[in-house]
Amino acid sequence: MSGISLRNIRKAYPGGPTVLHDVSMEFQPGEFIVIVGPSGCGKSTLLRLIAGLERADAGEIKIAGKRANDLPPQDRDIAMIFQNYALYPHMSVRENIAFGLELRGMPKAERNRRAEEVARMLQLEPYLERKPGALSGGQRQRVAMGRAMARNTSTFLMDEPLSNLDNALRVAMRTEIKDLHRQLGATIVYVTHDQTEALSLADRVAVMKDGHLLQFDRPDVIYDRPANRFVAGFLGVPPINFLPTEKLPGCAGLAGSDDLTAGLRPDILAVHTAQPAGPSLAARVVMAEMTGSDLLLHCDTAAGRLTALAPRLALGGGTEQVWISYDLDRALFFDNQSGARVDYVPGDRQIR
Amino acid sequence: MKPENPFVALLSLLVGLLFLSPVLYSIWMSFQTADDFYAGRVTFTLDNYERAIGQFNFARYLINSLIVSGLVTVLGITVATLAAFAFARFRFPGGDLMFGATVATLMIPSHISLIPNYLTLAKAGLLDTYAGLILPAISNGFACFFLRQYMRGIPKALDEAAYMDGATHLQVLWRIIVPLSRPAISSMALYIFIAEWNNYIWPLVAVGKQDLYTLQIGLARLYRINPGEGLIDWPLVMAASTITILPVLLGFLAVERHLVRGITMGAVK
Repeated sequence: MSGISLRNIRKAYPGGPTVLHDVSMEFQPGEFIVIVGPSGCGKSTLLRLIAGLERADAGEIKIAGKRANDLPPQDRDIAMIFQNYALYPHMSVRENIAFGLELRGMPKAERNRRAEEVARMLQLEPYLERKPGALSGGQRQRVAMGRAMARNTSTFLMDEPLSNLDNALRVAMRTEIKDLHRQLGATIVYVTHDQTEALSLADRVAVMKDGHLLQFDRPDVIYDRPANRFVAGFLGVPPINFLPTEKLPGCAGLAGSDDLTAGLRPDILAVHTAQPAGPSLAARVVMAEMTGSDLLLHCDTAAGRLTALAPRLALGGGTEQVWISYDLDRALFFDNQSGARVDYVPGDRQIR
Repeated sequence: MKPENPFVALLSLLVGLLFLSPVLYSIWMSFQTADDFYAGRVTFTLDNYERAIGQFNFARYLINSLIVSGLVTVLGITVATLAAFAFARFRFPGGDLMFGATVATLMIPSHISLIPNYLTLAKAGLLDTYAGLILPAISNGFACFFLRQYMRGIPKALDEAAYMDGATHLQVLWRIIVPLSRPAISSMALYIFIAEWNNYIWPLVAVGKQDLYTLQIGLARLYRINPGEGLIDWPLVMAASTITILPVLLGFLAVERHLVRGITMGAVK
């Protein structure tokens, strides 16, 4: 197994903007790393740099402790799964899976055996002689995974591998990828813009924006203690609510609360049909979305627009006026100027 | 595709026959003796073919044409494919300029390069050799341009996947790009073969030895065999013409399917 180290990576395309600004990260051997961020944040470029498909303008990439900046992709012992799978259309599933082994000079009988073994693991055996054009999206995705797995490498790079699948298949494949990681114990670097994938798959998540690494930590830490307002807003479904502290009942007396925005995740909000004791906001339901057992309420309040989750059965149909209370101890606070998170100390009722 | 309307079918047949009529007429004529042809009598003889091959050395010309056109096609396609791959996939200093220069060669009439090519080959001592017939035709700007455009349509992710699988540049070209460019390469190969097969001027200039004549030169000489009598032996000329068009026709039938795909590529997603 090999770890990956990125030190002060910088990359700009000729005549274009800088896409990566001094990005540094360390991936431990066997870790499942998810790089997440909006389109154009540089996450795929970073993956391509690790793969050797692009060259960094500055900085150092180490794979298994060795400097890899100048190594061509074929010498890095890394397998990659592409967003559009990039299966060779003129080769059968068997040939696609065995191609990498053939290039490495493995005898035909042995690579056929390996291809069949991988196909068995991925339930692709009935399709071994088919061409990719005759496969469904999910089957193609499996072939792409099989092609990467066949080579027995210690590092896998995955560039939004599930983005072309429908929702049900995506959930199923997510579980399979997680299982695969457990079985192979390989280092996986996974790029996605889907925050559910990021939180559910990763040992550690790297959040990027505009070529900057904003936070790199465990998913629970990123969710509970986001480094800044962007990270808080990017991760979490339904999304976090941002409200000015001066308009939020209960915050007015907080020491050092000037020029702050409060972040209230829907799971710390409680919806009431009558005014509760303690700080709360009167809210008018603008729209109610059924999500199954819950209702997702979009409400107008004196502090601004708010999204809250309420158990469907507890709230009568057609309810228009509600009160929303919140647990201030679990609220997040962000500096309006820098966007950075500031900590609220409940005992002292102070922001530091 | 079968036309549903019988009238359309009949019309198609008539138009097809109209286009084919000169070829059919010349083939028919090749089986007549000269005397019968000029007397307006209909006969059947293979004598013209025997004379063309035996007396006028057409078997030799046919072999020469096959060697020259075959090698020009193989070497020309190889050079064009390598160059097209470089232009389509790599950025290197001067690359755009070189591609521009390659495209610019399409605008130069081939006869302009006749004398420079002749002088170069004369200096190299390659006149009156197969090499002298073949070398100037190997670099083909149009084939390079055509293949480069086609290769640019192949997703780059396929190359990248192959590099990740451990392929070298040449393996990517040979195992991924070439198989996927087969329609374009086949059409270009046929185009080069036909162009070289029909080439008259350059073999006329570059070769003086009769042993190295190609079919087109041999064919042109047949017009001059009876200058004093003022009569051309048309059945003999037509037999030689039939020998000349036959290999091209067979070659066309062999790659027709790819050729049509090559021409219509990009028209449908």
